[in-house]
Amino acid sequence: MGIVSSLAWRLFKHEAKRGELTIILLAIVLSVASVLSLSLFSERLQGALQERSASFLAADTQLRASQPIEGAWVQQAHEDGLDTASQVATRSMAFGETQMSLVDLRAVNENYPLKGTILVADAPFGEAHPADNLPQPGEAWIDSRLFQLLDVSIGGTIYVGDASFRVSGVLSEIPDAGFSLFTTEPIVLIRQRDVASADITGPGSRVTYKTYFTGDEQNLSQFYDWLRPQLNDELHRWQAASDDDSPIGRSVKRAERYFLLASLLAIILAAVSIAVAAQRYSQRHFDPVAIMKTLGASKTTIRRIYTLQICFITLLGIVLGVIAGMIIQQVVITVLAANVEVSLDVWHWRPILMAIFTGVVCALLFSLYPLLQLFSVPPLRVLRRDMSTNLQAKSLQFLAAGGAIFALMWTYSQDLKISAILFISGIALVAGLMVVTVGLIRIGRKLGSGSMGPWRLAWARISRRAMDNSVQLISFSVTLLLLLVVLVMRNDMVEQWRAQLPEGTPNYFLINITETQKPELEAHFAQNDVQTSDFFPVVRGRFVAVNGERVNTEVSKDDDDGSREGRTGLGREANLTWSNTLQSGNEIVAGNWQGNQVEKPTDGIYPVSVESDVAERLGIELGDLLTFNIGSEEVQSRVTSLRKVDWQTMQPNFFFVLSPAAMQDFSPTYITSFYLPSERKQALTALLQPFASTTLFDVDARINQLRDIVEQVSLAVEFILILVLAAGALVLIAQVQASMDERQQELAILRTLGAKGSLIRLSVVYEFIIIGIVAGFMAALANELSLYMLQTEVFQMQASLHPQFWIIAPTVGAIVVGALGAIGCWRLLSLNTTTLLRKMI
Amino acid sequence: MISTQKVTKTVSTSEGELQILQPISFEVKAGESVAIVGASGSGKSTLLGLLAGLDEVSSGEIYLNDEGLHNMNEEARARLRGEKVGFIFQSFMLVQSLTAIENVMLPAEIAGLKDAKARAKTILEQVGLSHRAHHYPNQLSGGEQQRVAVARAFINQPKILFADEPTGNLDAANSEKIEQLLFKMNQELGTTLILVTHDSKLAKRCQRQLNMQGGALTETTSSDTATEQGA
Repeated sequence: MGIVSSLAWRLFKHEAKRGELTIILLAIVLSVASVLSLSLFSERLQGALQERSASFLAADTQLRASQPIEGAWVQQAHEDGLDTASQVATRSMAFGETQMSLVDLRAVNENYPLKGTILVADAPFGEAHPADNLPQPGEAWIDSRLFQLLDVSIGGTIYVGDASFRVSGVLSEIPDAGFSLFTTEPIVLIRQRDVASADITGPGSRVTYKTYFTGDEQNLSQFYDWLRPQLNDELHRWQAASDDDSPIGRSVKRAERYFLLASLLAIILAAVSIAVAAQRYSQRHFDPVAIMKTLGASKTTIRRIYTLQICFITLLGIVLGVIAGMIIQQVVITVLAANVEVSLDVWHWRPILMAIFTGVVCALLFSLYPLLQLFSVPPLRVLRRDMSTNLQAKSLQFLAAGGAIFALMWTYSQDLKISAILFISGIALVAGLMVVTVGLIRIGRKLGSGSMGPWRLAWARISRRAMDNSVQLISFSVTLLLLLVVLVMRNDMVEQWRAQLPEGTPNYFLINITETQKPELEAHFAQNDVQTSDFFPVVRGRFVAVNGERVNTEVSKDDDDGSREGRTGLGREANLTWSNTLQSGNEIVAGNWQGNQVEKPTDGIYPVSVESDVAERLGIELGDLLTFNIGSEEVQSRVTSLRKVDWQTMQPNFFFVLSPAAMQDFSPTYITSFYLPSERKQALTALLQPFASTTLFDVDARINQLRDIVEQVSLAVEFILILVLAAGALVLIAQVQASMDERQQELAILRTLGAKGSLIRLSVVYEFIIIGIVAGFMAALANELSLYMLQTEVFQMQASLHPQFWIIAPTVGAIVVGALGAIGCWRLLSLNTTTLLRKMI
Repeated sequence: MISTQKVTKTVSTSEGELQILQPISFEVKAGESVAIVGASGSGKSTLLGLLAGLDEVSSGEIYLNDEGLHNMNEEARARLRGEKVGFIFQSFMLVQSLTAIENVMLPAEIAGLKDAKARAKTILEQVGLSHRAHHYPNQLSGGEQQRVAVARAFINQPKILFADEPTGNLDAANSEKIEQLLFKMNQELGTTLILVTHDSKLAKRCQRQLNMQGGALTETTSSDTATEQGA
């Protein structure tokens, strides 16, 4: 073994020094570096995005309860190394000296918030800035609106329950305020120790007790495992930043999937390049193996020598790959630092282990078949150079390689679906390419005859090297396919994200507009060049009975949960609207939309459409008769449709949409929204001055925040795309390089026979162009298949066809592959014929 | 030393079975030098491959140093080659990624000899290439490469040396050098020499000549006593 390993080491050393290992080494370095940099970058980015999500939750996780949570739980959390904070939230009446208003009272302890920041302003509706402390006991920070509603100013006093509070600040925002629009009451922030003196949490009051937890992932999950059995679904709700269903949460999740996809594709790219390189490595060693066998080396000796060699190469490749990967991701992070938040404080072992694992698995499994081929080279090759290997079982190789790729993808993504989709489209592509190869051979036979010219040479070579070309074609196509998938997914995803919040999305809401104010307001706004959206009529009504059965308002044990804070108050009063047209962002999931029903139904009962989640919670079904109390009147309506509402849209949403005919006797107030560019914010006061009784909601900051995140994620996705493209380009170069060496002999002969450089060059370029076109076209086909499956099954997006790529992909394929071929060929032709001939031997 | 009895070789082609060697029988004594001559495609190299245990016979028997090659599997034949056989090829067949001295050491290392390096140094000196020991094959001239190959062939002091057109790729001066080297070492070490060649001058330097024609051994002649042997 000593001699064998020293021989293996010597071979490795010399080959490395002479640059013979460059291609296979590059392939391994590429695989390790791309997997490492992609996953390290995406983990860091995800860390940052999760941190963002956490800031909307005020912590990593939140436990909400309808009764105070056990002190022992908090105790345990501390023992598990977690930080905690708490909040008591309830709705209560707040009184100024002359006015009163329903408010959303938030009483927090000194640790709040664990994540995110409280924003305050110097004056009502003034510019917000982060607060560096909390209101002192006995003090309250109140929403800008309350200054107007309670007719109070800074330093004044407000009364909540039995306690009085000195107003000491203007509250702009708290991290976990939620995304509600018009149904949320203005927030009053006080200290938790003041809750007792206010005495507002007694029986009958609806109080939400929130406890916040922050700590490292492992401690959090350990704590949750301990806590879970003690939680009661009726009373408790556990929410983690990672299962955030807000627009941000969704964007982050989608982005995470994209990163995952990109990393998977990087793995496949790496595998393809290693397979190509290993094949070439093996072929180059046919002679040395034949020589060694002739000189008496046993199969075991050969096996040991070459297995050791591959181990050395793998090891070196992994070391270099890890270094390169770290450098690449550092460069990317440095470049992005100004625009994209990344969390650098956490050291992620997973990407490194994953990269090493990928390197080892790819290098060993993909060189397995080439090595087996190498081991089986007959010694007779020393006399008969045309003898290569008699190893059969190519299908076994495909099976092994395919299995390896699939296993790797699955291990990495832990997502069977996404792995299966990519794998199946890959298989379909390979199968398609096999058929195409046969076609090419036929065409080649026809076109390869006739007068000598570059096209003829090109076709003749394609036909003759059909099997080699099929491998090459497959690797080109797979590379192009992967690049296409990454590119198109990125385009579609970013587009759909941006579509969520198009330019001009309303950033202000105006409520309490009276019937008489409506036309004046429209005119006034139009004069000031501000476009208002639809006016939604609203009356406050109480939902009292289903099919004549009184509804226990306590059934709606609704609490102000994150994005759906709008549900609150359902048990008491709801905002009822009416319309004949289905609002955008609403989707009928059962029954039929009421439509334009003017005629009074025979039974005198008009239809109502109910939001599907509320229907489920209150047990409302199609055909049920609902009773609402509006003022002293009672209105009955029949449920004819259930609607799914997209709560993420920045527009007023309603649980109940009644028929205009049923509501014609009631005088509503109106809600509208409008867009005012940030730079015109100053004009707001003048704009609203004539309508003092209306109430304004400013969601500009929130929209900007959302847009920021979408932009940030899009930018990150773009960088990932560039990384994958770079990896793909390297793979293509390696492939062309590998095939160039195989063409060397033919070039040498043609050159020796006096063929013009231009003839040879053109024939090679044409050959590569043909291969590039076919590969591009096949990749475009397979791309549609993968995208259809990915978009519908994994990304929950609308599937789209991409006919432009049917032209772009073959064109780009032809240009890129052709150019690479030309460069490779130019390098060979720049050598003189003697050198070429020498290289052949 | 070598004995063949009715050795044939048949290969399958797309047009059916093709017999490339007619039944061949002959014997070579220890220390003898034998040239296999004949036109291209006459089956010289095929015969050499079979004699050296690089290929398997279709029928018949081959004994090398009294060991039946025809009964051995590839592993056993490799062991036998490592112990008893040396090779020289027309295209030198040096491992391109090993230096001259490492190429020479190769058979000794494969055989597990501890003094491979020392032996290689000595023998490289004998072929006059000690100053190029650390050059790679592509840094050597054709003649030098073949001298390295000769050194490699003799490092394990083989009982039999097979040479396939050893001077086929060399100019006259280099051919002469290699021939001299070959016969000198053959004599010094008492090695049996079997060489395939087109070169009648080289063939004549051998004690015997086996003439191949169309896959059959039509005659054997020796430089001094020509004897006829049926094929």
